[in-house]
Amino acid sequence: MASHALGGPRPGNRNVLLKIVILGDGGVGKSCLMNRYVNNQFNDNSFHTIGVEFLNKDVKINDETYTMQIWDTAGQERFKSLRTPFYRGTDICMLTFAVDDRTSFKNLTMWKNEFLHYANIKDASTFPFIVVASKADIGADKRVVTESEIKCWCEVNDNIPYIETSSKDAINVETAFALGVDSWKRLEEAFDKTNNYVADTVNLSRLAQRNSSKCCSN
Amino acid sequence: MNRFFITMPELKAIIVSNISPRLKRAARKANPFDKTEKSKELYHHDSFKRVQELDGGFFEKFGTLLREQAAEDTKEVHEDSKEKGEEETASEEETEETPPDQGDIISNALLNIEELYSEILFETLHIIGSDASIIEEQDTLFAYLQEAFKVDQERHTVMLEAAKEKEAPNILLNVEVVEGKELSPKDANVENTPDDVLCLEVWDFDPAETVREKMTKIGDVKGVKGLTKLMKEIAVTASTGKHDNEFIGTATVPLKSIPAAGQTLWCNLEKKSKVKRQGLVKVKVSFSSEKNSHVAAQEHRHLLRILLLHELEQNKTEAFEWKGEFCVPAATLVRQHLAQSGLGPTDDALAQWVEFATVHTSHPLSFHLFADLVRKLVQPINSGLLSDEEIKLFWDGAKKLLPSCFNSIKKLRKLIPGEKSTSLHLQSLLTILAELSKVQQTENLDLFPSSVYGWITSKDSPNDIRSALTDAITQSAVDWFQHVVDHNKPTDDSDEARLKHLIKVLQVVRTDLQRAIDFHDKLFGQIMLFPYSRTLYIIYDNKVSEMTEPVVTDLCMSLKPIKYNEYDEPIQNDSNDSTLLAIGTTLFELYLVLQRFAVLAKGLCPADLEGLHAQQFHTWYHRGVAQWLDIAVYKAMKRIAKAVDLDELQPVDANVQYSASPIDTLAIFNQIKVFWQQLAWPDVEGSYTFVAKIMDDVCINCVYYADIMSKKVDNMGETETVYEKKFEVTNEWCYAINNIDYVRLSIKSFMNDLGVDEIIKQLADFRSPNAAEHCRVTLQLLIDNAIDTVRNKILDLLEVVAVKMTPSISRFLVEGAELLNQENNSVDRLMQYLEESLCTLSSQLNPENFDRILSIIWTKLAQIMYNLVESSLEKRRPPSFFANLHEMLKILTGFFRPDNGAAPPSLGANSEVLAKIEQLLMLHGMDTWQLIQQCHLERLNEQQQLTAAPLGMLTVRMQFVHDLLRIEIMNARNIRPMDDNGSCDPYVKVHLVPEEKFTGITRPRTKTHKKTLFPLFDEIFSIQLSREQREMKDAMVHFLIKDQDFLGMSSDFVAEAYFPFSGIPATTMETRLDEMTQIHLKLSKPSRMDSPAIKALDHRQGEKLAKDFIKKQRSKAGSKASITNGNH
Ligand SMILES: Nc1nc2c(ncn2[C@@H]2O[C@H](COP(=O)(O)OP(=O)(O)OP(=O)(O)O)[C@@H](O)[C@H]2O)c(=O)[nH]1
Ligand SMILES: [Mg+2]
Repeated sequence: MASHALGGPRPGNRNVLLKIVILGDGGVGKSCLMNRYVNNQFNDNSFHTIGVEFLNKDVKINDETYTMQIWDTAGQERFKSLRTPFYRGTDICMLTFAVDDRTSFKNLTMWKNEFLHYANIKDASTFPFIVVASKADIGADKRVVTESEIKCWCEVNDNIPYIETSSKDAINVETAFALGVDSWKRLEEAFDKTNNYVADTVNLSRLAQRNSSKCCSN
Repeated sequence: MNRFFITMPELKAIIVSNISPRLKRAARKANPFDKTEKSKELYHHDSFKRVQELDGGFFEKFGTLLREQAAEDTKEVHEDSKEKGEEETASEEETEETPPDQGDIISNALLNIEELYSEILFETLHIIGSDASIIEEQDTLFAYLQEAFKVDQERHTVMLEAAKEKEAPNILLNVEVVEGKELSPKDANVENTPDDVLCLEVWDFDPAETVREKMTKIGDVKGVKGLTKLMKEIAVTASTGKHDNEFIGTATVPLKSIPAAGQTLWCNLEKKSKVKRQGLVKVKVSFSSEKNSHVAAQEHRHLLRILLLHELEQNKTEAFEWKGEFCVPAATLVRQHLAQSGLGPTDDALAQWVEFATVHTSHPLSFHLFADLVRKLVQPINSGLLSDEEIKLFWDGAKKLLPSCFNSIKKLRKLIPGEKSTSLHLQSLLTILAELSKVQQTENLDLFPSSVYGWITSKDSPNDIRSALTDAITQSAVDWFQHVVDHNKPTDDSDEARLKHLIKVLQVVRTDLQRAIDFHDKLFGQIMLFPYSRTLYIIYDNKVSEMTEPVVTDLCMSLKPIKYNEYDEPIQNDSNDSTLLAIGTTLFELYLVLQRFAVLAKGLCPADLEGLHAQQFHTWYHRGVAQWLDIAVYKAMKRIAKAVDLDELQPVDANVQYSASPIDTLAIFNQIKVFWQQLAWPDVEGSYTFVAKIMDDVCINCVYYADIMSKKVDNMGETETVYEKKFEVTNEWCYAINNIDYVRLSIKSFMNDLGVDEIIKQLADFRSPNAAEHCRVTLQLLIDNAIDTVRNKILDLLEVVAVKMTPSISRFLVEGAELLNQENNSVDRLMQYLEESLCTLSSQLNPENFDRILSIIWTKLAQIMYNLVESSLEKRRPPSFFANLHEMLKILTGFFRPDNGAAPPSLGANSEVLAKIEQLLMLHGMDTWQLIQQCHLERLNEQQQLTAAPLGMLTVRMQFVHDLLRIEIMNARNIRPMDDNGSCDPYVKVHLVPEEKFTGITRPRTKTHKKTLFPLFDEIFSIQLSREQREMKDAMVHFLIKDQDFLGMSSDFVAEAYFPFSGIPATTMETRLDEMTQIHLKLSKPSRMDSPAIKALDHRQGEKLAKDFIKKQRSKAGSKASITNGNH
């Protein structure tokens, strides 16, 4: 199309904006995951996050460019009431635990519920969650959560997609986020399909809302 | 105390009537903007008021809190005076703690009352000292006595007579010479020459002894009996004295002038022979008697008691009022009794202490009195001057007094703070306690019997006055707190009422503390070294936290979240509105009150901060603040919607180019900021996170504003008649854009006002610079995001404007192109349309946005033009149409080109498109011959681009001699084989192009050379041209190498080459052709049939000329080549 070549000068881009929150117990490696993803860096002695941190990243997944707005939250209990206000308006939620920390795995349900409650989401089955099992690089001797357990949990929870990552060795980090986007897209399309028959305008307004209610980046 | 009770209600009434107008005024001032920087601007329009009416002044309530904080002190006092009133009603019900063993005062006294009465009568008959001068008033004294002792007349007469019978008492006069000065060098001695006169004789003793020592000795002379005897004694002393001593002088003191209580005075020394004064002596004189001191003391106590009871009864003295002043007769009687019984000041003090304390239990006396007494007694007791029995009496008195002391301290709150009487009262109380704690305690002293002191909790140091004081204060604070809580019961059991109740309690408590600090702390500290307000604070901290924390956390948890629909929009319903609003406001009112309470601790007990619960009050509010911010976003959205709705898109004043709604919007943000600032969140991690949240929220609201502002203008400027739909750029559009920009430009300073830098600095200190940096990045990113997003919104809107202009622009362009050279003003109309639109835009928008929209319009224009060309090509418009369009494009380019001749505004990627359009228009605007020539030129261009010569080379020499063109075709190399046998029979044909300009000219050709790929032609041709032809622009020589078929009937195209006239050297006649340089031309054939000129020609398939040319070119190119524009 000719009009494509005629794109005007733009200071910002017009990508699809996706708000992602990363949840999970303190110390499971959320901040490391975000840092590996956005800056391709790994810091061995990272500190506990205060409240929330926020980074943008533009990515191309399946030929579509997205601006990911990643909210990395503080997992420590004392930050609970400081992080929960940020859940609303989230598109994708990453539930994270570390494979060498059984408690963090056990807490997945708690995290999921906390998210659903504060993000005001009624139907968990239509929301794109991703389960990220972090620190997959650690030796088998230190690993305490087995793959089958994880899979079992995911199955019970509306088949949430699951991936094992290592921020340290840069394994599956991009994939994890891509998986999130995939899941989002799939659910979004399903949503559009079911609603197309009802009213076309609904979708439009929903999309408009989505793109307008959030910030976009350079 | 009683006075206080009586006057309080009146006082209260006065205060209340005084303050109510002020409170009303404060309420009226609830508009928050009268103090913001922008207030002037904001008052420019009424709409804001209407905006705030929307939600019942949600934000204003928080703004008001701040204001009230300033006026708070006055306010709290008011609340408290009200409080006082309630308290009083309550206190009436309070029962005084009943001190033990009271009531038998009189009966006790009755035991010896007659004895005592006759003793006093007797003393009155023999008044000594200065009181004797009022002897005429003896009858008054008798009358008084009779009344005080309640003795009937008959009995009185009998007893008086009996007293008169008795021999006069023996009274001793103690004389102590304290010091002398200006003495002549003689010693002093005492003599009493005339009756009733104390006579001091001063003698000079042995010079070895100092005058002072001697005088002290003399002062010791005691035991003078009666006034006459005294005289004799002194005479004896004088006669047995050392006669070698020299007499200095005499001083005389009339006995009648000596007060009964004794006296210290300076006397002049005189000598009969000398006129000159002999010096001064300081003498202390007092009476004493030979009475049994034990009996005397007991009598004295009884007397005091009887007189005091009478005094109080007579004068109807109020409780706590009597300060130790007897009426004159009573005072005389007391004095006489002391003097005639030989009782000293300590005896008197002890007697008063004991008796007054006893009376105090039934009729409270002034504490000031006791403070004085105890002060007099401490020293003698601690110096061992009192007998065990006396000490026991002293402690008994203390035990009677102390309950009342503690009671009064407990009731400190009922006194008017700051009044002199109050501080005197407290001072006396504390002095009593302080002095008492100095007194050595006796064994088995049960100072605080548990039957009386139920409230004493500390059992470790049973008789410690200080710890009893701590307990008393604690007890009273706890009771008082409970009282405050009970007497301000929530009006109903709603959350709102509960909160209001807490606020009230906290305010009253704070006032109490403030009072303690302002009025009482100093006295407690100075006199008792007791940290009064600190003690109170710690108690209140505990109580307040205990009471408030569960309520606040519960409420924060139960605050219903704003309900959102599936599109993330808040559901507009009542439950979202009312409950949250009210409770939210009160909840934060309570926050502010708690904050002020917590702050007090920093001054009062800096060392105890760790252990104080209320220091953590903000953590109770975590959830609440988050919730509030959520509510604020929702409220802000509603207000923004309303503000935009009311916005008439007229500039707020003549100097600006934005309207009211951005100001309203920023005012709303400002309210959020004020709320945040008011919170003064004490912990930095929370501050950081909440600020991040606020930034995110403000971003959402900015975007929301941009969206609805865009929506508002969306259908403006459009007019529709039956003939046309027209869009005009209006001022409203510009204001909408400016409004959004105004909001955008304010984001940064707004965000900075949230105190980001300070937070980051504190985080660096508190956690680590690294962590702080992470947070800084997050906040910076949020700001940048907000600004960028809104900028994108502006661009969207600018684009919308440009898009709306396109239909008109297209229509004018089409009309113009079709009718350009006829009577038609479409171009003018187009220019006028553009001019008007751009004028509006440039005068209303800021330069930056104007440039942007100019660039967008220009882009749109290019797009329109491009689409128009494309569609016109499809419609096979005639060349004149395109030529006209081309003309118009030139005009437009000129229009958009800035005056300085620079390139049109920020064309960027557009220049390419524009070049393409220009080329298309140029080509399609040409006639067919021109287009064919264009094809030749393209071929020349292609030829010049060749790097290798895959089809061989042709070598020629050429010259112009005037208008004569001479061509030598020399040879060709490596031409491509055409036959199956790999050979060729080539010849060269010379064409001149553009063909239609050279129609008369014969086209020369060489001979055919058989079976060679390297033919040597070596033929020369001369072509005579007209001057016009010779100078024709773009004219070229076109060499065609062809392959003659074996019959010589036809030929096939082999390759070709072009050479422009402009490259051929012009020479004189004399110059030979072989002097010219050889020209090696790369041979080629048409390879692409999609060149612009070919494509343009291809659009003219209906025209034979074009059709033939294309056919020829295609055959030259060979079977594979085709025109690839998809039309075939
Ligand atoms: N071996 C290994 N260690 C990791 C990996 N990712 C993180 N860690 C370590 O785990 C620790 C905690 O990582 P963080 O990313 O700070 O944890 P977090 O989930 O952000 O913790 P909070 O901010 O408190 O919620 C750090 O010491 C990391 O070095 C990983 O992939 N492999
Ligand atoms: Mg972290």
